Amino acid sequence: MKTAASRSLLVGIGNAGVSVLDRIAIEFPALQGMLVINNDADSLNASVVEKRIVLPSPEEADVSSGFLAIEEEFCAAIRGASSVIFCGGLGGELGSFLIPALAACAKADGITTLASVGIPFSFEGRQKRESAASALLKLHDLCDGVAVIENDRLAGGVPSTAAVGEAFVAADRVLQSSLLALQGMLATSGPVKISRSDLASVLGTSGSMTHFGHGRAEGANRLHEALEDALKSPLLTLAGKGSALKEASSVLLLLSGPADLSFAEVQRSVSELERMAGERCQVKVGVHAGEAQGARLELFLLASSGGASRKAVAPPKVSAPTPASAPEEQPAPAETPARVIPPEQPEPQEMQPEPSVKKAPSVKESKGSKTTKAGPSQQTQGVFDLESYQRGRFDKSEPTIVEGEDLDIPTFLRKGIKLGAALKH
Amino acid sequence: MAREQLFVGLEIGTTKICVIVAEGRSDGTINILGVGETPSRGVRKGEIVDLGTVSDCIREALLDAEDKTNVEIGNVWVAITGSHLRSFNNRGSFMLPEDRDEIIDEDLQTVEINAKEVSLPSANSFLHTIIQSYHVDGNENVLSPVGMSGSRLEADFHIIHGVKNRIQNTLRCIESLQLGIEDVVLSSLASALVVLTQQQKDLGALVIDIGGGTTDYLVYLDGAVRHSGVLALGGDHITNDISIGLRLPIARAEILKVQEGSAADPQTCEEGNITLKNDLGFHGCEINRKSLNTVIHYRVREIFELIRNDIESAHPGMLGMLGAGVMITGGCSRLSDIASVAEDIFDLPVQLTRAREVGGSTQIFENPQFSTAIGLTKYAMAVSDSLPEESFLQRLAEGLGGLFRRRSR
Repeated sequence: MKTAASRSLLVGIGNAGVSVLDRIAIEFPALQGMLVINNDADSLNASVVEKRIVLPSPEEADVSSGFLAIEEEFCAAIRGASSVIFCGGLGGELGSFLIPALAACAKADGITTLASVGIPFSFEGRQKRESAASALLKLHDLCDGVAVIENDRLAGGVPSTAAVGEAFVAADRVLQSSLLALQGMLATSGPVKISRSDLASVLGTSGSMTHFGHGRAEGANRLHEALEDALKSPLLTLAGKGSALKEASSVLLLLSGPADLSFAEVQRSVSELERMAGERCQVKVGVHAGEAQGARLELFLLASSGGASRKAVAPPKVSAPTPASAPEEQPAPAETPARVIPPEQPEPQEMQPEPSVKKAPSVKESKGSKTTKAGPSQQTQGVFDLESYQRGRFDKSEPTIVEGEDLDIPTFLRKGIKLGAALKH
Repeated sequence: MAREQLFVGLEIGTTKICVIVAEGRSDGTINILGVGETPSRGVRKGEIVDLGTVSDCIREALLDAEDKTNVEIGNVWVAITGSHLRSFNNRGSFMLPEDRDEIIDEDLQTVEINAKEVSLPSANSFLHTIIQSYHVDGNENVLSPVGMSGSRLEADFHIIHGVKNRIQNTLRCIESLQLGIEDVVLSSLASALVVLTQQQKDLGALVIDIGGGTTDYLVYLDGAVRHSGVLALGGDHITNDISIGLRLPIARAEILKVQEGSAADPQTCEEGNITLKNDLGFHGCEINRKSLNTVIHYRVREIFELIRNDIESAHPGMLGMLGAGVMITGGCSRLSDIASVAEDIFDLPVQLTRAREVGGSTQIFENPQFSTAIGLTKYAMAVSDSLPEESFLQRLAEGLGGLFRRRSR
């Protein structure tokens, strides 16, 4: 995808963010409007992205002090942008604190703010996941939309024998695709556009699961192959429930590619998605057909399910100037008398008791208060991961997947049916 | 009449490989001379995963059939299944040239070619193009349009396609045994030919062939095939579920399924235990009957629900029009109470069935396991008079022609 960046800015934060933007910069050299921020000077020096902001290293200052040190530089860098898309991994100290903090700055400047963030694998530790869940809540409050890439859900797309490094590379690749999808949806020059409110309606729901698929193909059968490729994404399935599209109320579809993309192809892709997703799901389509004839067709699907109803697009919280953990001597800049509170650093005691990576908690938390109970519309209960169950004799055979559900797993297990006393010796 | 009187059907199943040798009679029926069979190895979910092992198994089954029938087998008709097979209905149309208003044979071929002008996945090839009905200038359901006057000829086809390489794997395996391949036939199509009467095809029927690795299904209505599908689910999944649910070795689970298993609703089943005796390497134990039936019931129910949902989504309301109901065949149809589950799901009369209108050993044609292989011989007899000269492999190289257009309705 070589969409002109126009006034949209991609911001990669931390090692994950830098790595993803590097990949994009290499793959799409014409793409402008990228900024990387990290506290690892070596990583930034190796980066191919030209615009960089170096945070003080962890030895020199903590993250909140570092944020205050670069705040002005960041605000200057995003000035004039119509939209900012943040990208990085949550869970680490840098991502969990800095992404919400910088998102608050961007939002305060009236810029459309989106984020595509990765949630750590469960093997990375409970503390990281809790930190990510907490940061995600804040991001949902601050951003117009958040695409959440849950690394654990990607496990289905990585062979069980794959090296750990491969799992992270796969996660980065999906993060990259989701970032390009968001960028493409915002920057689509037509002929069919996706509005920002469409994006916000799909990605602005706190506690929801993001479903994302990306496919690419060329040749006579490009649409079919790209769609098939996209639908294979493990992020488009729900464990034990099949295709996630069935749970979604709206799906964003972006077709980006050659100028000879036909009306019939667009129509066919929409009808195919409608057939899969069901009648109550609305398919919103964006088409960017500006590439040369014969170019590769890229197809992105974005949807979400579960979570609380869409929050009112309210102005960000406004109150006293400095972050709680910031040094008191740092005054708020004069030109922004009412400042957005940069979120506090993750505090384990404030986190959800079971911040399931499957479904991010949807309850809001306030400082010093305990978490409130989820409302009736909130679906915070994690989905039991049946994939870890044995598939018995079919363990090494090609899975029988129907509508995203692995039918080699015994039916009674998938349906959660308890067996009576099964075996008495 | 057929160019040869002897037909050999080869089915490479997940649990068994069988070879049926049959002769065609002058009255149009077939007489089974014998069957050779051997347990299958190297086949998963209806598809070959170990060419060498499967070749050995086929050789054993062929030798068995040759011994029993005293026939030297040279050419075979092969059944094909697998989750890669897909189907859809499509209409082709053709405007006759202005200087001609009589429909000729070539027009039928042109309209079929036009119906196949669809975008298939690049790896796929056509397997069957089955005629449903012709329409001449808007006159619906013309059976034989050749010789009629008209300006526009249209035809509805049921088109079946699959991944070319996967089909070729089966063919390579057979070729390695120096056998000739007459044609490749969709398993459910072969089964339906032999379990349904013409009246049932006209009334409308759903044929479900539940085998070890796959469940093949096909809908006939108004005498033509309207829908077909393959689920890579079968009796092996039931066995696997029992093995996992009741923590038994696969072999024990299989015996338990065959001897004691029932698909009946566990709510209605009697309480009680089944005693499994000590055996070499296996400690005896007691199994709760309700647990066993629960495992089986939910799997069987799911298979039927998937079939129902697939047909309903492709052709809403079609199931209600099937006057002859549901016919279940295949090895797994012998599972107790499977018909009652099907009745519950499809809300149609259900019949457990096997090959009909064939002569020979009753032991063979009354066994639903052999429906597909017997169906192959019936298919062979129906189409062999119009079989093209080139071999199946040559046709595959050209993109798998629609043999069934020669109408074996």
